[in-house]
Amino acid sequence: MPIALVLPRLPQAASPDAPGRPAGLMTHAAASDAELMRGAAAGDRAAFGLLVERHGERALRVALRVLGDGAEAEEVAQEAFLRAWQAAASFDPDRAQFTTWLHRITLNLAIDRTRRRGSAPAAGEAALAALPDPGPGPEASAAAAEDRAALAAALARLPARQRAAIALAYEEGLSGAEAAAALDVSERALEGLLRRARLMLRRILSP
Amino acid sequence: MTPARFARLLDAHGPHPDGWPAGQRAGAAGLLAVSAEARALLETARGLDARLEKDLAQPSPEAVARLRLAVARRIARSPLPALPGRWPRLREWLRPAVPAGWGALAAMATCALWLSLSAGPAVGDPLAPLQTLPIAEDPL
Repeated sequence: MPIALVLPRLPQAASPDAPGRPAGLMTHAAASDAELMRGAAAGDRAAFGLLVERHGERALRVALRVLGDGAEAEEVAQEAFLRAWQAAASFDPDRAQFTTWLHRITLNLAIDRTRRRGSAPAAGEAALAALPDPGPGPEASAAAAEDRAALAAALARLPARQRAAIALAYEEGLSGAEAAAALDVSERALEGLLRRARLMLRRILSP
Repeated sequence: MTPARFARLLDAHGPHPDGWPAGQRAGAAGLLAVSAEARALLETARGLDARLEKDLAQPSPEAVARLRLAVARRIARSPLPALPGRWPRLREWLRPAVPAGWGALAAMATCALWLSLSAGPAVGDPLAPLQTLPIAEDPL
């Protein structure tokens, strides 16, 4: 049996002696995403749980901005993390950051879902229900809610990939190159998506 | 740079010309200095940008908490991640020994080698198993 050929590629269990390898919750907290993914690939559910803790909100936000529906966004974000867990061993930190990889999974699922349902998203009503109240008083809240509803309705009229481009463009800490990689397009193609999306939004929202 | 070109760049790169590609910044600055139309385009783009910053949907803390809980539950019931590479079934079979480290795998390999090389009992000899027992005293 060619066991010697197999052993060097086996994932190793978390060990406190191994440098850079998550070993416990205290170590996990300081571990990088790539280190946590190595732990997850070896079957460390706690390491993956910390990744969900770190990036769950981001995945949910991107899904919500593409789908415009809170319940669907939660389903998509759940499915994205489940797929990330199942494919943890194939994640290569030399090729992409974890966030880029997660964004790509999430966006693919969200865009697929919008294509399957074959219609515009739910005009942001569910998304609006999930929004925190930003206004100091009832009138300001009502005006803010109207603004958000108008924007959600305008976004709902865009093609899903343009909504995805907008979602990524306004995602803090994400570079243009990472956003393009998450959408699996060139940076120039991403600029084209953003240009068309902004042009359309301006036309829809202009009084 | 023309106002039309400036408008395209505003939509592609956003309303912050300082962050645009280096080759476009000087042209944009020159146009803004002389063109009221370009300045109006910039103001409009800034308005849309501010609106998107403020009003794009945000998940509620409750939704984020639900997501984390739901993922934790599903991961707890899910099989371990699939192992890439050759001989996935063999890797899956060896996975329980992985936490014990290389020593356990080496011991398993040694046992497998010893079992495969050790000679079995002679066929047809009913007393063959006794030949391997330690005999404290010869009855004869």
